[in-house]
Amino acid sequence: MEKNYYVCTGCGLLCDDIEVESEKNIINKVYTACRVGVAHMKKAKGETNFLVNNKPVDEATAVREAASILKNAKNPLIFGLGTSTDETQILAIELAKKTNATLDDTSSFCLGPLVEALLKDKLKTCTLEDIRNKADVIIFWGADPSDSHPRHLSKHSYFPRGSEKQKGWEEERTAIAIDIRKSHTAKICGNYFFQIPPGGDTEFIDALIAALSGKLPKTSYNFPPKKILELANILKGAKFGVIFAGLGLIYSLEDLEPVFRLMKILNEKANFHLVPMVGHYNMRGFNENLFAETGYVNRVKFEDGMVKHGPEYSVVESLKAKTVDAALIIGSDPLSSLPRSVSKNLLEIPVISIDPCETLTSKHAKVYINTAISGVESGGSATRMDGTKVSFKPVVETIHPSDEAILKKIMEAV
Amino acid sequence: MDFGSFLSAPEINIKIVTYRDIFQDKAMIENRFGEEYRDRSAILKLDPADLKQLSIKAGDTVILKNSLGKIVVKAEESGYETPHRGIAYMPNSPWSNMLVSDETGGTGVPRFKDISATVTSAKGEKVTELRF
Repeated sequence: MEKNYYVCTGCGLLCDDIEVESEKNIINKVYTACRVGVAHMKKAKGETNFLVNNKPVDEATAVREAASILKNAKNPLIFGLGTSTDETQILAIELAKKTNATLDDTSSFCLGPLVEALLKDKLKTCTLEDIRNKADVIIFWGADPSDSHPRHLSKHSYFPRGSEKQKGWEEERTAIAIDIRKSHTAKICGNYFFQIPPGGDTEFIDALIAALSGKLPKTSYNFPPKKILELANILKGAKFGVIFAGLGLIYSLEDLEPVFRLMKILNEKANFHLVPMVGHYNMRGFNENLFAETGYVNRVKFEDGMVKHGPEYSVVESLKAKTVDAALIIGSDPLSSLPRSVSKNLLEIPVISIDPCETLTSKHAKVYINTAISGVESGGSATRMDGTKVSFKPVVETIHPSDEAILKKIMEAV
Repeated sequence: MDFGSFLSAPEINIKIVTYRDIFQDKAMIENRFGEEYRDRSAILKLDPADLKQLSIKAGDTVILKNSLGKIVVKAEESGYETPHRGIAYMPNSPWSNMLVSDETGGTGVPRFKDISATVTSAKGEKVTELRF
């Protein structure tokens, strides 16, 4: 019997081996997915469909009101899109152009710089399949996939018996964690857990580079040089190494220069790749789609056919400086996920929230449109954390419109 | 020893590092306004020596305060083998975000994982509700 597999859009892994049991468009059972994936696919939807000023309206009224907010704004902010399909993201870019908007996504304050470096070929990378089949040295740096990407180790990076790694993790793979705390992933790495102090990453990279160059590794926090030398020896012996870079690493660095230096020497001595631990299922897709259109991965401002780029067009700086006078938020909840000291400024401007669930942001929005859960109730395509394109179909049908359908209508109305 | 520990309600300075937690993530997906999400978010994982200095036990509520705001969360013992006095851990959430500074140096990247605050016993005060 041919099995029907679905894609889980619960995180940047986009697991494509999910089976479900559903009846009358309600998913009763989800097989293969992780705890987060099961919750994502079985998510119950609220009754609310379209609200303007917290009062129920029909779709046409909500779309008209949203279009009117965007038309009347001098510099609207379009933000979110990490949990939207490529098709929706491309529409949002068009809408941003049409409305002279500032456009940004969550990569602006997380892994955007890394994805940009990958798109500009500044770092060597590979696919998760390559890792499953070939990787012998795996580093989780400032990343804890056991919590953030629960099937990462079992499906791709550590436990599978890949085509060239039939003896598996017991004999043929070394997993290393570099972190400031003993995370669940660090526990799995056992003796290969290297605990550094908060903010100590750059120094650790420098010490590791020294050790790889045959020099004595030193840190101001007196990390045992012997342990760093041991680590350098393991890395030197890697036939197919990979660094999974997480937020813990990125937030600790001023810029990516130390990562470039480390990757350079690792590839002089061995063979190393880097994959960013992208959280939202299509954040990388947003970066790629905007990059294809503008040459930038995020933080842009469109103005009469021109595009400007810089930190001043980031969601954080533009809200902080109050340079935006309306906001269209798609599949994101900045009132929860941004510092309150920044997000509170959203309360002063008209907000349109397009989201499959009610959030703090939707509750404070002037217009709220409850859309289908992308990947569960609507289909499309997306980019996995490693750059692989994945297409998916909806698992169940819904009465809720997709964010793509709503954006099309708003686009026609502005 | 810092001066705060001699006060009748001891107060200590801590650096809070945020992290992701699978159970908290799952609770958020199910209901971001629910009790489970709050119980798994509004927590602070402390070194046992810091709990002792604050004269509180695991499960008691504490007040976290800095120039950005004040929240009440539940204190827990971190369970980490390596001592980490002065450093506490908290799942990334709207609660931790109430204490994150808007000072970014113009980079557009807030310091989500590097929060400075003081902690004192909340003397039974309830955990902060999630609202604006």
